[in-house]
Amino acid sequence: MGNIAFLPIGLEVGLLVGALGILMAAVMRGCRTRDWAIIAGTAIGFGFVVSVRQWVVVGDIGPQLAYGTKGIDGSAVANQMVAMDKFGALGGMILMIVVGLVLIGSWQMITDLGTRGAEYVALILLSVAGMHMMIVSANLVMLFIGLETASLALYVIAGFLRDRRGSDESAMKYFLMGSFASALFIYGVALVFAATGSTSLYGPTSIGMFLGGNVMPDPGILLIGIALILVGLAFKMSAAPFHQWAPDVYQGASTGAVAFMSTGVKVAAVAAMVRVMYLGFFQFYDDWSMAVALIAALSILVGTATAIAQSDIKRMLAYSGVAHAGFLLVAVLAARVSLDSMWFYLATYAVSLVGMLTIVGVVAGVNSGPVSIDSFRGLGKKSPMLSVAIAVFMFSMAGIPGTSGFIAKLVVFTAADLNGFRWLVVLALLASVAGLFFYLRIIVVAFFDDTDAEETPSTPTGPRIAIGFAVAVTVLLGLWPTLLLDFAREALPHL
Amino acid sequence: MSELVVTAGWYMALAALLFSIGAIGLLTRRNALVMFMSIELMLNSVNLTFVAVGKELRTLEGQIATLFVIVVAAAEVTVGLAIIVAVFRRRETASVDELSEMRG
Repeated sequence: MGNIAFLPIGLEVGLLVGALGILMAAVMRGCRTRDWAIIAGTAIGFGFVVSVRQWVVVGDIGPQLAYGTKGIDGSAVANQMVAMDKFGALGGMILMIVVGLVLIGSWQMITDLGTRGAEYVALILLSVAGMHMMIVSANLVMLFIGLETASLALYVIAGFLRDRRGSDESAMKYFLMGSFASALFIYGVALVFAATGSTSLYGPTSIGMFLGGNVMPDPGILLIGIALILVGLAFKMSAAPFHQWAPDVYQGASTGAVAFMSTGVKVAAVAAMVRVMYLGFFQFYDDWSMAVALIAALSILVGTATAIAQSDIKRMLAYSGVAHAGFLLVAVLAARVSLDSMWFYLATYAVSLVGMLTIVGVVAGVNSGPVSIDSFRGLGKKSPMLSVAIAVFMFSMAGIPGTSGFIAKLVVFTAADLNGFRWLVVLALLASVAGLFFYLRIIVVAFFDDTDAEETPSTPTGPRIAIGFAVAVTVLLGLWPTLLLDFAREALPHL
Repeated sequence: MSELVVTAGWYMALAALLFSIGAIGLLTRRNALVMFMSIELMLNSVNLTFVAVGKELRTLEGQIATLFVIVVAAAEVTVGLAIIVAVFRRRETASVDELSEMRG
Protein backbone atom coordinates (compact mmCIF):
# COMPACT_ATOMS: atom_id res chain seq x y z
CA MET A 1 0.00 0.00 0.00
CA GLY A 2 2.26 2.74 -1.23
CA ASN A 3 -0.27 5.51 -1.64
CA ILE A 4 -1.68 7.28 1.37
CA ALA A 5 -4.99 5.80 2.35
CA PHE A 6 -7.17 7.46 4.92
CA LEU A 7 -8.56 4.46 6.75
CA PRO A 8 -5.56 3.48 8.97
CA ILE A 9 -5.52 6.85 10.74
CA GLY A 10 -9.15 7.80 10.20
CA LEU A 11 -9.89 7.54 13.89
CA GLU A 12 -7.11 9.93 14.87
CA VAL A 13 -7.99 12.40 12.12
CA GLY A 14 -11.65 12.37 13.13
CA LEU A 15 -10.82 13.05 16.77
CA LEU A 16 -8.37 15.85 15.94
CA VAL A 17 -10.89 17.52 13.64
CA GLY A 18 -13.48 17.17 16.38
CA ALA A 19 -11.15 18.74 18.95
CA LEU A 20 -10.37 21.69 16.68
CA GLY A 21 -14.05 22.02 15.81
CA ILE A 22 -14.99 22.29 19.47
CA LEU A 23 -12.37 24.98 20.08
CA MET A 24 -13.58 26.90 17.02
CA ALA A 25 -17.19 26.56 18.10
CA ALA A 26 -16.30 27.92 21.53
CA VAL A 27 -14.57 30.92 19.96
CA MET A 28 -17.21 31.71 17.36
CA ARG A 29 -20.45 30.80 19.03
CA GLY A 30 -19.58 31.24 22.69
CA CYS A 31 -20.42 28.96 25.54
CA ARG A 32 -22.94 26.57 24.03
CA THR A 33 -22.28 23.17 25.52
CA ARG A 34 -24.86 21.61 23.25
CA ASP A 35 -22.65 22.32 20.21
CA TRP A 36 -19.67 20.72 21.88
CA ALA A 37 -21.68 17.67 22.81
CA ILE A 38 -22.80 17.23 19.21
CA ILE A 39 -19.27 17.66 17.82
CA ALA A 40 -17.67 15.40 20.41
CA GLY A 41 -20.38 12.80 19.95
CA THR A 42 -19.94 12.90 16.19
CA ALA A 43 -16.15 12.57 16.45
CA ILE A 44 -16.35 9.65 18.87
CA GLY A 45 -19.08 7.97 16.85
CA PHE A 46 -17.01 8.49 13.71
CA GLY A 47 -14.02 6.94 15.47
CA PHE A 48 -16.10 3.92 16.40
CA VAL A 49 -17.41 3.53 12.86
CA VAL A 50 -13.86 3.80 11.46
CA SER A 51 -12.71 1.09 13.89
CA VAL A 52 -15.56 -1.19 12.79
CA ARG A 53 -14.74 -0.45 9.16
CA GLN A 54 -11.07 -1.27 9.81
CA TRP A 55 -12.14 -4.56 11.37
CA VAL A 56 -14.22 -5.44 8.30
CA VAL A 57 -11.56 -4.37 5.80
CA VAL A 58 -8.83 -6.26 7.64
CA GLY A 59 -11.11 -9.30 7.63
CA ASP A 60 -11.32 -9.00 3.83
CA ILE A 61 -7.79 -8.13 2.77
CA GLY A 62 -5.73 -8.98 5.84
CA PRO A 63 -3.73 -6.62 8.07
CA GLN A 64 -1.95 -3.74 6.37
CA LEU A 65 0.92 -1.39 7.05
CA ALA A 66 0.75 2.22 6.00
CA TYR A 67 2.76 5.43 5.70
CA GLY A 68 6.16 4.06 4.86
CA THR A 69 9.13 5.52 3.02
CA LYS A 70 10.80 4.06 -0.05
CA GLY A 71 14.49 3.33 0.19
CA ILE A 72 16.81 5.90 -1.45
CA ASP A 73 17.46 3.49 -4.29
CA GLY A 74 13.74 3.00 -4.84
CA SER A 75 13.75 -0.30 -3.03
CA ALA A 76 10.78 -1.79 -1.25
CA VAL A 77 8.69 0.33 1.08
CA ALA A 78 10.24 0.21 4.51
CA ASN A 79 9.85 1.86 7.91
CA GLN A 80 6.08 1.65 8.00
CA MET A 81 4.61 3.88 10.66
CA VAL A 82 1.09 2.63 11.26
CA ALA A 83 -0.36 -0.86 11.31
CA MET A 84 -3.98 -1.46 10.45
CA ASP A 85 -5.09 -4.71 12.03
CA LYS A 86 -7.88 -6.09 14.17
CA PHE A 87 -5.71 -5.45 17.24
CA GLY A 88 -5.83 -1.72 16.64
CA ALA A 89 -9.47 -1.84 15.54
CA LEU A 90 -10.66 -3.51 18.75
CA GLY A 91 -8.47 -1.13 20.77
CA GLY A 92 -10.15 1.76 19.00
CA MET A 93 -13.63 0.43 19.76
CA ILE A 94 -12.82 -0.02 23.46
CA LEU A 95 -11.26 3.44 23.71
CA MET A 96 -14.23 5.07 21.98
CA ILE A 97 -16.69 3.36 24.34
CA VAL A 98 -14.63 4.36 27.37
CA VAL A 99 -14.22 7.99 26.34
CA GLY A 100 -17.89 8.20 25.42
CA LEU A 101 -18.91 6.91 28.86
CA VAL A 102 -16.49 9.30 30.58
CA LEU A 103 -17.85 12.34 28.74
CA ILE A 104 -21.49 11.36 29.29
CA GLY A 105 -20.80 10.70 32.96
CA SER A 106 -18.93 13.94 33.66
CA TRP A 107 -20.71 16.34 31.32
CA GLN A 108 -22.01 18.25 34.31
CA MET A 109 -18.49 19.41 35.09
CA ILE A 110 -18.03 20.64 31.53
CA THR A 111 -21.15 22.79 31.69
CA ASP A 112 -20.03 24.11 35.09
CA LEU A 113 -16.69 25.15 33.61
CA GLY A 114 -18.28 27.57 31.15
CA THR A 115 -16.18 28.45 28.10
CA ARG A 116 -13.19 26.54 29.44
CA GLY A 117 -15.27 23.37 29.16
CA ALA A 118 -14.56 23.39 25.42
CA GLU A 119 -10.83 23.12 26.11
CA TYR A 120 -11.47 20.22 28.46
CA VAL A 121 -13.44 18.25 25.86
CA ALA A 122 -10.89 19.08 23.16
CA LEU A 123 -8.02 17.89 25.39
CA ILE A 124 -9.80 14.62 26.10
CA LEU A 125 -10.31 14.01 22.38
CA LEU A 126 -6.65 14.84 21.64
CA SER A 127 -5.51 12.56 24.42
CA VAL A 128 -7.58 9.62 23.25
CA ALA A 129 -6.23 10.12 19.72
CA GLY A 130 -2.74 9.76 21.17
CA MET A 131 -3.77 6.64 23.05
CA HIS A 132 -5.03 4.98 19.90
CA MET A 133 -1.84 6.03 18.13
CA MET A 134 0.07 4.09 20.78
CA ILE A 135 -1.92 0.96 19.97
CA VAL A 136 -1.53 1.13 16.19
CA SER A 137 2.02 2.47 15.90
CA ALA A 138 4.39 0.23 13.96
CA ASN A 139 7.49 2.16 14.95
CA LEU A 140 8.89 2.95 18.37
CA VAL A 141 9.35 6.65 17.61
CA MET A 142 5.73 6.77 16.48
CA LEU A 143 4.75 5.08 19.72
CA PHE A 144 6.62 7.79 21.61
CA ILE A 145 4.69 10.50 19.76
CA GLY A 146 1.41 8.80 20.65
CA LEU A 147 2.50 8.42 24.26
CA GLU A 148 3.36 12.10 24.53
CA THR A 149 0.20 13.25 22.76
CA ALA A 150 -1.82 11.27 25.27
CA SER A 151 0.26 12.30 28.28
CA LEU A 152 0.67 16.03 27.62
CA ALA A 153 -3.09 16.42 27.30
CA LEU A 154 -3.58 14.40 30.48
CA TYR A 155 -1.22 16.61 32.52
CA VAL A 156 -3.41 19.58 31.69
CA ILE A 157 -6.62 17.64 32.33
CA ALA A 158 -5.33 16.60 35.77
CA GLY A 159 -4.84 20.24 36.77
CA PHE A 160 -7.81 21.66 34.96
CA LEU A 161 -9.76 22.94 37.96
CA ARG A 162 -7.30 25.68 38.84
CA ASP A 163 -9.40 27.16 41.66
CA ARG A 164 -9.55 23.97 43.66
CA ARG A 165 -6.78 23.11 46.08
CA GLY A 166 -4.93 19.96 45.19
CA SER A 167 -5.58 20.24 41.48
CA ASP A 168 -2.28 21.99 40.77
CA GLU A 169 -0.42 19.58 43.01
CA SER A 170 -1.95 16.73 41.06
CA ALA A 171 -0.91 18.21 37.71
CA MET A 172 2.64 18.96 38.87
CA LYS A 173 3.25 15.48 40.23
CA TYR A 174 1.74 13.86 37.17
CA PHE A 175 3.80 16.06 34.88
CA LEU A 176 7.16 15.47 36.57
CA MET A 177 6.70 11.72 36.96
CA GLY A 178 5.12 11.30 33.54
CA SER A 179 7.88 13.22 31.78
CA PHE A 180 10.47 11.16 33.62
CA ALA A 181 8.76 8.00 32.35
CA SER A 182 8.64 9.37 28.81
CA ALA A 183 12.34 10.22 28.94
CA LEU A 184 13.15 6.70 30.15
CA PHE A 185 11.04 5.26 27.36
CA ILE A 186 12.65 7.26 24.55
CA TYR A 187 16.14 6.59 25.90
CA GLY A 188 15.25 2.92 25.76
CA VAL A 189 14.23 3.39 22.14
CA ALA A 190 17.54 5.14 21.41
CA LEU A 191 19.50 2.25 22.96
CA VAL A 192 17.50 -0.30 20.99
CA PHE A 193 18.26 1.76 17.89
CA ALA A 194 21.94 1.72 18.80
CA ALA A 195 21.92 -2.05 19.24
CA THR A 196 19.82 -3.04 16.24
CA GLY A 197 19.95 -0.05 13.88
CA SER A 198 16.18 0.11 13.70
CA THR A 199 13.18 1.52 15.51
CA SER A 200 10.65 -0.25 13.31
CA LEU A 201 8.52 -3.18 14.38
CA TYR A 202 7.66 -4.35 10.87
CA GLY A 203 9.21 -4.72 7.47
CA PRO A 204 12.58 -5.81 6.10
CA THR A 205 14.56 -3.46 8.35
CA SER A 206 12.69 -4.14 11.58
CA ILE A 207 14.13 -4.88 15.00
CA GLY A 208 12.72 -8.40 14.88
CA MET A 209 14.36 -9.09 11.50
CA PHE A 210 17.71 -7.86 12.78
CA LEU A 211 17.50 -9.94 15.94
CA GLY A 212 16.36 -12.96 13.95
CA GLY A 213 19.24 -12.67 11.50
CA ASN A 214 22.07 -11.78 13.85
CA VAL A 215 23.35 -13.50 16.94
CA MET A 216 24.30 -10.89 19.51
CA PRO A 217 27.26 -12.02 21.56
CA ASP A 218 26.83 -9.21 24.04
CA PRO A 219 23.26 -7.89 24.11
CA GLY A 220 23.86 -5.59 27.10
CA ILE A 221 22.81 -2.32 25.46
CA LEU A 222 19.77 -3.96 23.89
CA LEU A 223 18.64 -5.43 27.20
CA ILE A 224 18.98 -2.07 28.94
CA GLY A 225 16.95 -0.55 26.12
CA ILE A 226 14.20 -3.16 26.47
CA ALA A 227 14.17 -2.66 30.24
CA LEU A 228 13.81 1.12 29.88
CA ILE A 229 10.95 0.71 27.40
CA LEU A 230 9.23 -1.66 29.83
CA VAL A 231 9.72 0.73 32.73
CA GLY A 232 8.38 3.65 30.70
CA LEU A 233 5.17 1.78 29.85
CA ALA A 234 4.85 0.37 33.40
CA PHE A 235 5.04 3.94 34.72
CA LYS A 236 2.14 4.95 32.49
CA MET A 237 -0.04 2.07 33.63
CA SER A 238 0.97 2.74 37.27
CA ALA A 239 2.50 -0.65 37.99
CA ALA A 240 4.58 -1.00 41.14
CA PRO A 241 7.30 0.10 41.90
CA PHE A 242 6.49 2.97 39.50
CA HIS A 243 3.09 3.79 40.97
CA GLN A 244 3.80 6.43 43.61
CA TRP A 245 2.33 9.23 41.53
CA ALA A 246 -1.01 7.55 40.92
CA PRO A 247 -2.77 7.91 44.31
CA ASP A 248 -1.81 11.58 44.69
CA VAL A 249 -2.79 12.41 41.12
CA TYR A 250 -6.11 10.55 41.33
CA GLN A 251 -6.99 12.14 44.64
CA GLY A 252 -6.26 15.67 43.49
CA ALA A 253 -7.73 15.57 39.99
CA SER A 254 -11.45 15.90 39.34
CA THR A 255 -13.39 12.66 39.38
CA GLY A 256 -14.31 12.89 35.71
CA ALA A 257 -10.66 13.34 34.75
CA VAL A 258 -9.65 10.37 36.89
CA ALA A 259 -12.21 8.17 35.17
CA PHE A 260 -10.52 8.99 31.88
CA MET A 261 -6.86 8.85 32.87
CA SER A 262 -7.11 5.69 34.94
CA THR A 263 -8.75 3.65 32.18
CA GLY A 264 -7.60 5.05 28.84
CA VAL A 265 -3.89 5.06 29.60
CA LYS A 266 -4.04 1.51 30.94
CA VAL A 267 -5.75 0.24 27.78
CA ALA A 268 -3.23 2.00 25.54
CA ALA A 269 -0.11 1.12 27.52
CA VAL A 270 -1.01 -2.56 27.90
CA ALA A 271 -1.90 -2.97 24.23
CA ALA A 272 1.25 -1.12 23.16
CA MET A 273 3.35 -3.26 25.48
CA VAL A 274 1.98 -6.45 23.94
CA ARG A 275 2.68 -5.27 20.41
CA VAL A 276 6.19 -3.98 21.13
CA MET A 277 7.38 -6.81 23.33
CA TYR A 278 6.07 -9.69 21.25
CA LEU A 279 6.78 -8.25 17.80
CA GLY A 280 9.96 -6.34 18.54
CA PHE A 281 11.77 -8.43 21.09
CA PHE A 282 10.38 -11.93 20.82
CA GLN A 283 13.90 -13.36 20.60
CA PHE A 284 14.47 -12.08 24.13
CA TYR A 285 11.16 -13.38 25.46
CA ASP A 286 12.84 -15.30 28.29
CA ASP A 287 14.51 -12.15 29.58
CA TRP A 288 11.66 -9.67 29.42
CA SER A 289 8.92 -12.08 30.46
CA MET A 290 10.73 -12.60 33.75
CA ALA A 291 10.95 -8.83 34.27
CA VAL A 292 7.25 -8.42 33.45
CA ALA A 293 6.38 -11.24 35.86
CA LEU A 294 8.35 -9.59 38.67
CA ILE A 295 6.72 -6.19 38.07
CA ALA A 296 3.34 -7.93 37.98
CA ALA A 297 3.94 -9.75 41.25
CA LEU A 298 5.14 -6.59 42.98
CA SER A 299 2.18 -4.56 41.65
CA ILE A 300 -0.34 -7.14 42.86
CA LEU A 301 1.22 -7.33 46.32
CA VAL A 302 1.79 -3.59 46.83
CA GLY A 303 -1.55 -2.57 45.33
CA THR A 304 -3.58 -5.02 47.41
CA ALA A 305 -1.71 -4.40 50.65
CA THR A 306 -1.93 -0.60 50.48
CA ALA A 307 -5.51 -0.42 49.19
CA ILE A 308 -6.69 -2.04 52.43
CA ALA A 309 -5.48 0.90 54.51
CA GLN A 310 -7.08 3.70 52.46
CA SER A 311 -9.92 5.86 53.71
CA ASP A 312 -10.27 7.93 50.54
CA ILE A 313 -12.26 6.23 47.79
CA LYS A 314 -10.12 7.61 44.97
CA ARG A 315 -6.87 6.59 46.67
CA MET A 316 -8.39 3.17 47.26
CA LEU A 317 -9.29 2.90 43.56
CA ALA A 318 -5.78 4.12 42.65
CA TYR A 319 -4.13 1.37 44.70
CA SER A 320 -6.64 -1.15 43.42
CA GLY A 321 -5.61 0.15 40.00
CA VAL A 322 -2.00 -0.72 40.85
CA ALA A 323 -3.11 -4.25 41.67
CA HIS A 324 -5.10 -4.38 38.45
CA ALA A 325 -2.04 -3.16 36.54
CA GLY A 326 -0.36 -6.25 37.98
CA PHE A 327 -3.21 -8.47 36.77
CA LEU A 328 -2.97 -6.78 33.35
CA LEU A 329 0.74 -7.57 33.23
CA VAL A 330 -0.18 -11.18 33.94
CA ALA A 331 -2.48 -10.79 30.94
CA VAL A 332 0.47 -9.51 28.91
CA LEU A 333 2.30 -12.74 29.73
CA ALA A 334 -0.85 -14.74 29.01
CA ALA A 335 -1.14 -13.04 25.63
CA ARG A 336 1.42 -15.48 24.28
CA VAL A 337 -1.18 -18.22 24.37
CA SER A 338 -4.40 -16.23 24.29
CA LEU A 339 -4.77 -12.61 23.34
CA ASP A 340 -8.53 -12.63 23.91
CA SER A 341 -8.04 -12.90 27.67
CA MET A 342 -6.03 -9.67 27.67
CA TRP A 343 -8.68 -7.80 25.68
CA PHE A 344 -11.43 -9.16 27.89
CA TYR A 345 -9.66 -8.02 31.04
CA LEU A 346 -8.88 -4.58 29.61
CA ALA A 347 -12.40 -3.94 28.35
CA THR A 348 -14.27 -5.16 31.43
CA TYR A 349 -11.96 -3.47 33.92
CA ALA A 350 -12.10 -0.17 32.05
CA VAL A 351 -15.90 -0.21 31.87
CA SER A 352 -16.34 -1.18 35.54
CA LEU A 353 -13.90 1.50 36.70
CA VAL A 354 -15.53 4.23 34.62
CA GLY A 355 -18.90 3.20 36.04
CA MET A 356 -17.59 3.24 39.60
CA LEU A 357 -15.94 6.64 39.24
CA THR A 358 -19.10 8.03 37.65
CA ILE A 359 -20.93 6.98 40.83
CA VAL A 360 -18.26 8.70 42.93
CA GLY A 361 -18.87 11.78 40.80
CA VAL A 362 -22.62 11.61 41.45
CA VAL A 363 -22.25 11.10 45.20
CA ALA A 364 -19.49 13.61 45.89
CA GLY A 365 -19.80 16.03 42.97
CA VAL A 366 -18.15 15.46 39.63
CA ASN A 367 -15.39 18.03 40.17
CA SER A 368 -14.64 16.81 43.69
CA GLY A 369 -11.08 16.26 44.83
CA PRO A 370 -10.55 13.94 47.81
CA VAL A 371 -13.65 11.82 48.57
CA SER A 372 -13.88 9.90 51.82
CA ILE A 373 -15.37 6.42 51.79
CA ASP A 374 -17.78 7.73 54.45
CA SER A 375 -19.61 9.72 51.77
CA PHE A 376 -21.16 6.39 50.71
CA ARG A 377 -22.63 5.98 54.18
CA GLY A 378 -26.28 4.97 54.10
CA LEU A 379 -26.48 5.17 50.32
CA GLY A 380 -28.34 1.86 50.28
CA LYS A 381 -31.43 3.45 51.80
CA LYS A 382 -31.35 6.77 50.01
CA SER A 383 -30.49 5.57 46.55
CA PRO A 384 -30.93 1.82 46.18
CA MET A 385 -30.28 1.74 42.44
CA LEU A 386 -26.93 3.51 42.82
CA SER A 387 -25.94 1.16 45.61
CA VAL A 388 -26.77 -1.90 43.55
CA ALA A 389 -24.58 -0.48 40.80
CA ILE A 390 -21.76 0.02 43.33
CA ALA A 391 -22.17 -3.60 44.39
CA VAL A 392 -21.98 -4.79 40.78
CA PHE A 393 -18.80 -2.84 40.05
CA MET A 394 -17.12 -3.84 43.30
CA PHE A 395 -18.04 -7.50 42.75
CA SER A 396 -16.62 -7.23 39.26
CA MET A 397 -13.33 -5.70 40.41
CA ALA A 398 -13.03 -8.26 43.18
CA GLY A 399 -13.76 -11.05 40.72
CA ILE A 400 -16.94 -12.57 42.10
CA PRO A 401 -18.80 -15.03 39.82
CA GLY A 402 -21.67 -13.59 37.85
CA THR A 403 -19.76 -10.46 36.89
CA SER A 404 -17.37 -9.82 34.03
CA GLY A 405 -14.45 -9.38 36.43
CA PHE A 406 -14.67 -13.05 37.42
CA ILE A 407 -14.50 -14.26 33.83
CA ALA A 408 -11.67 -11.82 33.11
CA LYS A 409 -9.57 -13.17 35.97
CA LEU A 410 -10.51 -16.75 35.06
CA VAL A 411 -9.39 -16.50 31.44
CA VAL A 412 -6.25 -14.50 32.22
CA PHE A 413 -5.09 -16.80 35.01
CA THR A 414 -5.85 -19.92 32.99
CA ALA A 415 -3.85 -18.65 30.05
CA ALA A 416 -0.95 -17.47 32.23
CA ASP A 417 -0.85 -20.87 33.91
CA LEU A 418 -0.80 -22.51 30.49
CA ASN A 419 2.13 -20.28 29.60
CA GLY A 420 4.13 -21.52 32.58
CA PHE A 421 3.64 -18.85 35.24
CA ARG A 422 1.96 -20.95 37.90
CA TRP A 423 3.69 -19.18 40.85
CA LEU A 424 2.42 -15.85 39.57
CA VAL A 425 -1.11 -17.19 39.17
CA VAL A 426 -1.13 -18.57 42.71
CA LEU A 427 0.06 -15.22 44.02
CA ALA A 428 -2.58 -13.37 42.01
CA LEU A 429 -5.32 -15.68 43.28
CA LEU A 430 -4.31 -15.14 46.90
CA ALA A 431 -4.20 -11.38 46.34
CA SER A 432 -7.66 -11.49 44.75
CA VAL A 433 -9.02 -13.07 47.91
CA ALA A 434 -7.34 -10.41 50.06
CA GLY A 435 -8.74 -7.77 47.73
CA LEU A 436 -12.26 -8.83 48.65
CA PHE A 437 -11.75 -7.01 51.94
CA PHE A 438 -11.57 -3.48 50.57
CA TYR A 439 -14.03 -3.99 47.74
CA LEU A 440 -16.64 -5.42 50.05
CA ARG A 441 -16.00 -2.73 52.67
CA ILE A 442 -17.46 -0.12 50.33
CA ILE A 443 -20.58 -2.24 49.86
CA VAL A 444 -20.84 -2.69 53.62
CA VAL A 445 -20.55 1.07 54.17
CA ALA A 446 -23.20 1.71 51.54
CA PHE A 447 -25.76 -0.85 52.70
CA PHE A 448 -25.28 -1.52 56.40
CA ASP A 449 -24.07 1.75 57.84
CA ASP A 450 -26.84 4.37 57.95
CA THR A 451 -25.63 6.60 60.77
CA ASP A 452 -25.69 10.34 60.06
CA ALA A 453 -26.86 10.02 56.50
CA GLU A 454 -26.47 13.14 54.40
CA GLU A 455 -29.00 14.46 51.89
CA THR A 456 -30.04 12.24 49.02
CA PRO A 457 -28.01 12.70 45.84
CA SER A 458 -30.20 12.59 42.75
CA THR A 459 -28.64 11.02 39.69
CA PRO A 460 -28.76 13.26 36.59
CA THR A 461 -29.58 11.73 33.23
CA GLY A 462 -26.01 11.66 31.86
CA PRO A 463 -24.42 9.66 34.67
CA ARG A 464 -27.57 7.52 34.78
CA ILE A 465 -26.96 6.44 31.18
CA ALA A 466 -23.23 5.86 31.73
CA ILE A 467 -23.76 3.87 34.93
CA GLY A 468 -26.62 1.87 33.39
CA PHE A 469 -24.53 0.99 30.37
CA ALA A 470 -21.55 -0.02 32.52
CA VAL A 471 -23.74 -2.20 34.76
CA ALA A 472 -25.34 -3.83 31.73
CA VAL A 473 -21.96 -4.61 30.16
CA THR A 474 -20.52 -5.89 33.44
CA VAL A 475 -23.42 -8.26 34.10
CA LEU A 476 -23.95 -9.31 30.48
CA LEU A 477 -20.29 -10.20 29.93
CA GLY A 478 -20.26 -11.96 33.28
CA LEU A 479 -23.09 -14.24 32.24
CA TRP A 480 -22.31 -14.48 28.56
CA PRO A 481 -18.56 -13.92 28.13
CA THR A 482 -18.33 -15.49 24.68
CA LEU A 483 -19.96 -12.33 23.31
CA LEU A 484 -16.63 -10.54 23.65
CA LEU A 485 -14.24 -13.48 23.84
CA ASP A 486 -15.14 -14.86 20.41
CA PHE A 487 -14.82 -11.41 18.97
CA ALA A 488 -11.51 -10.67 20.72
CA ARG A 489 -9.99 -13.97 19.64
CA GLU A 490 -9.57 -12.51 16.15
CA ALA A 491 -8.03 -9.26 17.38
CA LEU A 492 -4.45 -10.20 16.63
CA PRO A 493 -1.74 -7.73 15.72
CA HIS A 494 -0.23 -7.79 12.25
CA LEU A 495 2.70 -10.16 12.23
CA MET B 1 51.14 7.35 18.79
CA SER B 2 47.95 6.92 16.87
CA GLU B 3 45.41 9.70 16.67
CA LEU B 4 42.46 9.42 18.99
CA VAL B 5 39.39 8.62 16.93
CA VAL B 6 36.10 9.74 18.43
CA THR B 7 33.69 6.94 17.60
CA ALA B 8 29.98 6.69 18.26
CA GLY B 9 30.78 4.77 21.41
CA TRP B 10 32.27 7.88 22.99
CA TYR B 11 29.17 9.89 22.20
CA MET B 12 26.98 7.17 23.61
CA ALA B 13 29.04 7.08 26.79
CA LEU B 14 28.72 10.85 27.08
CA ALA B 15 24.98 10.58 26.47
CA ALA B 16 24.66 7.88 29.13
CA LEU B 17 26.52 10.15 31.55
CA LEU B 18 24.23 13.10 30.75
CA PHE B 19 21.19 10.89 31.11
CA SER B 20 22.35 9.68 34.51
CA ILE B 21 23.03 13.25 35.65
CA GLY B 22 19.53 14.19 34.54
CA ALA B 23 17.92 11.23 36.26
CA ILE B 24 19.82 11.81 39.50
CA GLY B 25 19.01 15.51 39.35
CA LEU B 26 15.32 14.76 38.94
CA LEU B 27 15.30 12.39 41.88
CA THR B 28 17.36 14.51 44.29
CA ARG B 29 16.47 18.17 43.60
CA ARG B 30 13.31 19.64 45.08
CA ASN B 31 12.83 22.71 42.94
CA ALA B 32 10.31 22.06 40.17
CA LEU B 33 12.23 24.17 37.65
CA VAL B 34 15.48 22.32 38.29
CA MET B 35 13.66 18.99 38.08
CA PHE B 36 12.20 20.10 34.79
CA MET B 37 15.66 21.08 33.50
CA SER B 38 16.86 17.60 34.46
CA ILE B 39 14.14 16.09 32.28
CA GLU B 40 15.26 18.29 29.39
CA LEU B 41 18.83 17.10 29.94
CA MET B 42 17.64 13.49 29.73
CA LEU B 43 15.83 14.20 26.46
CA ASN B 44 18.92 15.89 25.03
CA SER B 45 21.08 12.91 25.89
CA VAL B 46 18.56 10.84 23.93
CA ASN B 47 19.08 13.19 20.98
CA LEU B 48 22.84 12.79 21.24
CA THR B 49 22.49 9.00 21.20
CA PHE B 50 20.19 9.07 18.19
CA VAL B 51 22.43 11.40 16.17
CA ALA B 52 25.65 9.56 16.99
CA VAL B 53 24.21 6.15 16.19
CA GLY B 54 22.54 7.45 13.04
CA LYS B 55 25.87 8.86 11.83
CA GLU B 56 27.66 5.63 12.65
CA LEU B 57 25.10 3.45 10.85
CA ARG B 58 24.80 5.90 7.93
CA THR B 59 21.04 6.08 8.17
CA LEU B 60 18.80 9.11 8.40
CA GLU B 61 16.49 7.42 10.88
CA GLY B 62 18.48 8.66 13.86
CA GLN B 63 18.44 12.28 12.73
CA ILE B 64 14.71 12.15 12.01
CA ALA B 65 14.01 10.62 15.40
CA THR B 66 15.95 13.51 16.93
CA LEU B 67 13.68 16.01 15.21
CA PHE B 68 10.66 14.27 16.71
CA VAL B 69 12.19 14.29 20.17
CA ILE B 70 12.99 18.02 19.88
CA VAL B 71 9.39 18.77 18.94
CA VAL B 72 8.07 16.70 21.82
CA ALA B 73 10.49 18.41 24.22
CA ALA B 74 9.23 21.80 23.04
CA ALA B 75 5.63 20.72 23.64
CA GLU B 76 6.62 19.49 27.08
CA VAL B 77 8.19 22.88 27.88
CA THR B 78 4.92 24.59 27.02
CA VAL B 79 2.79 22.41 29.24
CA GLY B 80 5.36 22.03 32.01
CA LEU B 81 6.17 25.71 32.44
CA ALA B 82 2.47 26.53 32.41
CA ILE B 83 1.88 24.07 35.25
CA ILE B 84 4.87 25.38 37.21
CA VAL B 85 3.67 28.98 36.78
CA ALA B 86 0.17 27.99 37.91
CA VAL B 87 1.60 26.38 41.04
CA PHE B 88 3.88 29.34 41.71
CA ARG B 89 1.03 31.86 41.41
CA ARG B 90 -0.96 29.96 43.97
CA ARG B 91 1.71 29.11 46.49
CA GLU B 92 4.60 31.55 45.85
CA THR B 93 7.01 28.64 45.70
CA ALA B 94 8.27 26.17 43.15
CA SER B 95 9.46 23.61 45.66
CA VAL B 96 7.79 20.24 45.38
CA ASP B 97 8.13 19.72 49.12
CA GLU B 98 5.34 22.27 49.59
CA LEU B 99 3.11 20.10 47.45
CA SER B 100 2.21 17.53 50.03
CA GLU B 101 -1.51 17.86 50.75
CA MET B 102 -2.21 14.47 49.31
CA ARG B 103 -0.75 11.54 51.14
CA GLY B 104 -1.77 8.29 52.73
